[in-house]
Amino acid sequence: MTKTHTVTGQDLREMFAASTNWLEKSSADIDVLNVFPVPDGDTGTNMLLTMRSTMEEAYRAPDHSATAVADAMAKGALMGARGNSGVILSQIIRGLAKGLTGKENISGADLAAALKEASENAYRGISNPVEGTILTVMKEAARAAQEQVDKGNDDPVQVMEAAVATANEAVANTPRLLKVLREAGVVDAGGQGLYTILDGCLRYLKGEAEGMRFRKPQIIVSDVTSTKQVGRISPKEEIPYGYCTEFMIKGQELDIDYIRKRLVKKGESLIVVGDPTAIRVHIHALSPGDVITFATKLGTLHQVSMRNMDEQHQDFLEMQHDKSPAADTGIIAVVSGDGLTDVFKSLGAAAIVQGGQTMNPSIKDLLTAVEGIDADKVIILPNNKNVILTASKVQELTQKNIEVVPSETIPAGVAALLAFDYEANLKTNTEIMKSALSNVRSIEITKAARSTQMGNLKISRKQPIGFLDGDLVAVGDSDIKVVEKIFARINLKNSQVLTIYYGGDADPEESSALGAQIREKYPHLQIEVIRGGQPHYNYIISVE
Amino acid sequence: MPVKIVTDSLSDLTSEITKGLDVTVVPVYVRFGKEVFRDRVEMTTEDFYSRLVRSDALPTTTQPSPGDFLETYKKLSKDTNDILVINLSSKLSGTYESARQAKNLYEGKARIEVIDTKQVIMGLGLIVLEAARRAKKGAKMDELIELVQAMMPKTHSVMALDSLKYLAKGGRIGKAKGLLGSMLAIKPILTMREGEVHPMTRVRSRQAGMDYLYNLVAEFKNIQGLAVEHATNPAEATQLADRLGKLYPRNQIIISTVSPVIGTYVGPQVISVSIIGEEASPAA
Repeated sequence: MTKTHTVTGQDLREMFAASTNWLEKSSADIDVLNVFPVPDGDTGTNMLLTMRSTMEEAYRAPDHSATAVADAMAKGALMGARGNSGVILSQIIRGLAKGLTGKENISGADLAAALKEASENAYRGISNPVEGTILTVMKEAARAAQEQVDKGNDDPVQVMEAAVATANEAVANTPRLLKVLREAGVVDAGGQGLYTILDGCLRYLKGEAEGMRFRKPQIIVSDVTSTKQVGRISPKEEIPYGYCTEFMIKGQELDIDYIRKRLVKKGESLIVVGDPTAIRVHIHALSPGDVITFATKLGTLHQVSMRNMDEQHQDFLEMQHDKSPAADTGIIAVVSGDGLTDVFKSLGAAAIVQGGQTMNPSIKDLLTAVEGIDADKVIILPNNKNVILTASKVQELTQKNIEVVPSETIPAGVAALLAFDYEANLKTNTEIMKSALSNVRSIEITKAARSTQMGNLKISRKQPIGFLDGDLVAVGDSDIKVVEKIFARINLKNSQVLTIYYGGDADPEESSALGAQIREKYPHLQIEVIRGGQPHYNYIISVE
Repeated sequence: MPVKIVTDSLSDLTSEITKGLDVTVVPVYVRFGKEVFRDRVEMTTEDFYSRLVRSDALPTTTQPSPGDFLETYKKLSKDTNDILVINLSSKLSGTYESARQAKNLYEGKARIEVIDTKQVIMGLGLIVLEAARRAKKGAKMDELIELVQAMMPKTHSVMALDSLKYLAKGGRIGKAKGLLGSMLAIKPILTMREGEVHPMTRVRSRQAGMDYLYNLVAEFKNIQGLAVEHATNPAEATQLADRLGKLYPRNQIIISTVSPVIGTYVGPQVISVSIIGEEASPAA
C-alpha cells in the first residue's frame, strides 16, 4: 500500500474477517475475564459468534462498495448477536454502517466519523449504559480517531492506529471505573474483545495478515494494583441472576423506544436494538415469560433463547476452579514483580499479595487475600524471611484454616508451589511443600546499599553482591562475576534445572547472555531465563 | 474347562508378557489420516511413535466393533463355557460397550461376563494377568469376577510426561488443564482415574519425575503387581525397573510399552508405573 491509504469495501470485509480470526485466538481467554454484568464466562465466545455471523453476511453484499459491505455486516451482526456483549457489538457494527452510508471507499475522516457513529449507536441501544465496559472502550477509541483527523491526518491506517492505542489504554483503565472488575483483578471482557477486534483490523491494514497466523492477541493486564488480586472470582452476595433471555421480533413499524420502555422494569441488562422491521432483545429477567408474552403481541418471535444464568454462573465457577490446583486448598504467595506474579499465578497460586524485600505486606494485606479467595484451607508462601512472622499471625484473625510454608526466597516458594499434591489434604500438602523447600538453592544478586565489611568480604556501596540461600557470600565488579563466584561454591554437576529470573532493572540481553554462558559451561543443565520484573534484585536464580 | 480371559489392546499386554497364559487380546483401531491399523497387529509400536512425532495431525482411535468381539466369543466358546471380558475404562473408550453389545448378540451357550475395570494401560494389564493366572489354576467364573472387582480399587497408574503438548493437542486434557499455560517448563505427573486424566503434581526435570515414581511405589505395601512402561525409551524404563527392584522382586516387574492409543495423548517421552497394592498412608 502507498503512504496515504484508501480502504475499499473489499478491504473493509477482509480486515474484519482477519480480526474475527484474531478474536478467535483469544476468545477462551476473554471468557475467563468475564465478570460483568454476570460472571458467566461466555463473553469471548459470544463476541466471536456474533462476528462470524457478521462476516457470513458480509460476503453476501450486493457489490464491493464500503457502504454495501458495511450494511451487510450490520444485518449479519443483528441476526447473529449473542449475549450482552454480542448485542452491543452488533450495535457498534450497525453504527459503523450508518457512518459509512453512501461511501464507496473509506478515508481517515470517514473512518473517524464511522467510529463516532458506532460509539453513539452503542450507547443508544443500552437502557442503562455503564462506564468501564465495551462502551467506554468504543467511545475512547472513536475520540482518539477524531483527534487524528482534527490534526489533519486523513490516513485511515494512522487513524486506526490511534484508535487502537487508545482502546488499549481504555481497556487497562476499566478496573478504575468498575468496582467489580477491580475486585476481581481483571479488565472488562467485552472491552478486551472490542480491542482485539480493532487491533485485528489494524494489523490487517498494516499488511500483517500473514504474521497474525502465528501470533496471539494480547490480553491486557490491569495496571490497577489491588491487594486483592484474586485468581478466582466468586461474588460475595448471592444475587439472583434469573434467565438470560434473547429473541428477535419481526414485524411492521416496530417502535424501539416503546419496547424498551415497556421492558426496562422487567429485568436487568436490557438491550433493545434494530429497525422497525426487526428488533433484537436481550434481557436478564427473573420471569422471562412476561417478556415473551409482551413481545408476541408485537410480531413474530425468532431465535428465542433462554438460559438459566445461575447454572451458567456455576459452570463459570467450575471453569475457574479447574485453573486452580485443588478445589479446597488455595495458595497465597507474597511476590513482587509482574513476571514473578505471572509465574506464581501460572503455577496455580489463587492470589498474589504484592510484597517482598523492603516492602513487607501487612497482616491486613494477607488477611484480605485469605478472605478473598474461594477456599477454606489456605497455604501462605511468604517467600521472604521478613514476611514469615507476619504470615504466621494471620491464623488468629480468620476462621479459615491457615498453614504457612516458610519459604525464605522466591525459588524456594516456586519449588514448594510446584510440589503441591493435587490429591493430598492440607496437612499432607504442607508437609510435602515444606520438604520441597530444601530441594532448591537460591541465589540472589543485588547492589550493596552501603559500604561495609562482612567477614572477609570488603564491600563498597552500590557494588554487586550475592546471597546464597539468604547468606551474603560474594561480592564482585559485575553481576555476572558474582554469579560465577557463587556457582563455584555449589556443585552444579549434580543439579538438573537452573532458572534465572531477571529483575525489572536487569538488562534482558545480559540475562540471556548469562544463560548462554552457563549453558556452555554446564551442558547437562536445563536452563530457563524468565523475566521476573522484581525490584532490587537484578537476578534471582534457582538451582534444582 | 477353564475360564477364557479376553481383554483389549489398551491393556498393553503383548504376547511375550502373556506367554503361558490364555489371554485373547482384541485390538482397537488406530487411524492415521486415511490409513487404519489394528493396534499392535498391523502396526508396531515403534512405527506408531515415529509417525506420531513426525505427523502434525494426531491419529484417532476407534473401538473394536461388536462384531470383532462376537467373533472372538464364537471362536473361544468352542473350547469353553465361560468367557470373562476385562475391559479398559468405559469413560475412555467405547470398547466396553462393544464387548457388551457382542454379548447380547451372541447366541451360543457359553456364559459371558464383561467387566469395566475403569483402568487402562498396565493398570488394566496387571488385573488381566492376575485373572489369567488364577483361571489357569482352575478358578471359576464367579471367583474371578470377585477377584477382579477386589483388585480394581487397589490399582493405580501414574505417568510422568515430558510435556502437556500431546494431551492438549488431543483434547483429552480433562482436569489437568490447570497445568497449562505455566510460565515455567514443567513436567506433569498425571494419574488416570475412572478413565480421566487427573493431575497429581509437577516436577522440573525428568530425573525428578523418575524419583517421584520411585517414591510413589515406596509408599505402597502388599504389592500384588508392578509394571513399568515407556513409549520410546526402553533404557529409561529398565533403569527405573532396576531401581524398583529394591521394593519388589525385579524379575516380577513387567516392562511394557504404552499402547499407541494412549501414547497419542501422553507423548512419546512418557514413563509410567502401574501398581496393584495398598497405599501405606492413603491421602485423604
